[in-house]
Amino acid sequence: MYVDMVTARHYEERLQEEYLEGKQPAFDISAGPIPGELHLAAGHEASGAGVCQHLRDDDAVTAPHRPHHVAIAKGVDLKRMTAEIFGRETGLGKGKGGHMHLFDPDVNFACSGIIAQGCPPAAGAALAAKKRNTDSVAVAFLGEGAIDQGGFLESLNFAAVRDLPVVFVIEDNDWAISMPKDRVTDVENGSRRAGGFDMPGVRVDHDDAVAIYEAAGEAIGRARDRNGPTLLEVQVHRRMGHFMGDPQSYRPERDQDAALARDSIERLAADLRAHGVDDDELDELREDAHKRVEEAIAWAKDQPEPEPGAAHEDVFVNPGSGVTDSEPEFELAGGDD
Amino acid sequence: MSQQTQRVERELTMSRAMVEAIATEMRDDDEVFYMGEDVADYGGIFDSTEGLREEFGYDRVMDVPISETAYIGAAVGAAQMGMRPIAELMFVDFFGVAMDQIYNQLAKNTYMSGGNVSVPMVLTTAVGGTYNDAAQHSQTLYGTFAHVPGMKVVVPSTAYEAKGLMHNAIRDDDPVVYMFHKRLMGIGWMPAPDGPKTPVPETDYTIPFGSADVKREGDDVTVVTLGLHVHRALEAAENLADDGTSVEVLDLRSLVPLDTDTIVESVEKTGNLVVVDEDYRSFGVTGEIVASVADEALGALDAVERVAVPDVPIPYSRPLENEVVPNVGDIEAAVERIQ
Amino acid sequence: MSGEDDRVAVTLAEWPDDADSDEGVVVNWFVREGATVEASQSLCEVQVEKVSVDVLAPVDGTLVEVVRDEDDEFERGDTLAWIAEE
Repeated sequence: MYVDMVTARHYEERLQEEYLEGKQPAFDISAGPIPGELHLAAGHEASGAGVCQHLRDDDAVTAPHRPHHVAIAKGVDLKRMTAEIFGRETGLGKGKGGHMHLFDPDVNFACSGIIAQGCPPAAGAALAAKKRNTDSVAVAFLGEGAIDQGGFLESLNFAAVRDLPVVFVIEDNDWAISMPKDRVTDVENGSRRAGGFDMPGVRVDHDDAVAIYEAAGEAIGRARDRNGPTLLEVQVHRRMGHFMGDPQSYRPERDQDAALARDSIERLAADLRAHGVDDDELDELREDAHKRVEEAIAWAKDQPEPEPGAAHEDVFVNPGSGVTDSEPEFELAGGDD
Repeated sequence: MSQQTQRVERELTMSRAMVEAIATEMRDDDEVFYMGEDVADYGGIFDSTEGLREEFGYDRVMDVPISETAYIGAAVGAAQMGMRPIAELMFVDFFGVAMDQIYNQLAKNTYMSGGNVSVPMVLTTAVGGTYNDAAQHSQTLYGTFAHVPGMKVVVPSTAYEAKGLMHNAIRDDDPVVYMFHKRLMGIGWMPAPDGPKTPVPETDYTIPFGSADVKREGDDVTVVTLGLHVHRALEAAENLADDGTSVEVLDLRSLVPLDTDTIVESVEKTGNLVVVDEDYRSFGVTGEIVASVADEALGALDAVERVAVPDVPIPYSRPLENEVVPNVGDIEAAVERIQ
Repeated sequence: MSGEDDRVAVTLAEWPDDADSDEGVVVNWFVREGATVEASQSLCEVQVEKVSVDVLAPVDGTLVEVVRDEDDEFERGDTLAWIAEE
């Protein structure tokens, strides 16, 4: 978990640098090596790490627009993911998806940019596992801003009524762009929604990887044992703006400072030290993680951009005509034309 | 491709043909399943799954809650895991409550993943009016579904096509939207016109997408249409033949891909193009067909007529609905104007 | 009902249990006059009140005459068509 977390933190910090390159002094969103929007997950690391520790490659995960920490913890190909973020031909999606639409079918990871809309496909992956009689599970990550969206609520009901092996993980970082929780939702916490759908709802109040790991283990275990879905909510914090370029003027400085002051990585490190892991070991793990990130970024930046003509390909995997291109001849009676 | 030399005498309604294809595929592959509202015991409110639950049980013919985003999205998720779900949108007019899963997930995941992920599902949906169900339950929305890239869109007009297109749709690894017209299904309480009930081979067979069918040959005017209006156009053509006008009727069968070649070939013969559509006039099928022909064969095009539902929500009262949904007389009038 | 020796009547063998009415309507024919049919093959679909029922061929043979066409009404026991048995 420590490795996943330091990898993710370094990754997001480095991407922030890469992203801002070429966009200054005036912020032009389409300039630089990473054009478009970028939503970084610095501060969310404990959630991705704590949950994905329990998952196998055949377990499906969907994530929202702030996905990198989950992707890393799930084992997504880091080089190809980075190439995709840089829009290169050898990226996960050949440059066609970008940072919000990362697909790695080898580890069954997908993310997408419409709030809460990863929930139904995760329920669907769980449905497939149940139909095939395997013990695979599915996990849908979402932010606390997503809990009012129909797609989330419908998925809770569908998972409950069909008893699906899916876990919904709400990453509560208190802010949905500029909206603090209490101005948009009436219940105190998203986990309380679970009661309305007759499923277990659990909240981990602290940004603590070990606590999240334990709660996730229970929820995922429940799903694997075919005892139904769980709604798990974990408190994380957002160290950067909603997207890169967000001046966060809506957010009190006290709140921003408090977020920066508490650090789940440091917390886990302290925990590990208390269990006898020495600083040299932690340093080595951190350095290896940083190196891996640097290698991925360097590799990605070296990759070619896609040929313009490629924009017309990959709409479908089969020819337009489907599985055949010819129609059989029959002698049909009646002649009703 | 199979060659059938024996005469096919057995006819089926369009709903039975559709069901026959689905049942065959479900027998052949455990990974095919159907999910929708009232599809199990009820057999689909437009008979789209009649008899399937009795053969395959409640697990494979799943009744779902009134929760389109959840169950259509679940079909996307299951399809991405390699299963072959058929999800039914009870009325195409309900697309609004689930359009994100349809046009942002189902339609786009293949492309955004660079072809690394596919969504081998079928989205079936009932379309069409003519029975006074008003604005929120009578649309066809052909243009809406054909417009957004990433979905194959097919519209059977007869039982023979319904079965062949359904076999292809289920076997295809790409997402296919299968739009069946309520009035063509052969339901007791919504009698079909003559035409959709046709001989249907017992064997399974596939009809390619992107292949229009000349339902009636003619030399003077090309009428391009789909769904219910194939039969209205054929009736109009029959009437016009008495007056000496020879009308060629083209059944599109497929909107995505669109068979422009067959349309152009016909227009090069006749010079006169009438497009008939049960969807709204503006920004839809009629405009698209005319533009496609103009793109490729402007010189061959002498005259154009667009017959479609005007840009109004579909009204309830009988004289009002009859006014807006094109009928046989409207098609005849268009052919006469174009001459 | 008298008919030729080898002609078999096609009727709705089992009237729906909970139907009060003794009348029905032929909704869809699935074969035309002259078609070869097999025993138990679905020949047509009729509607009695709100229930749709398939009428099955009683024997193998040729459907030689359709007596009640689509949209025709019929009463319980009426012959809907004749099959010349093979």
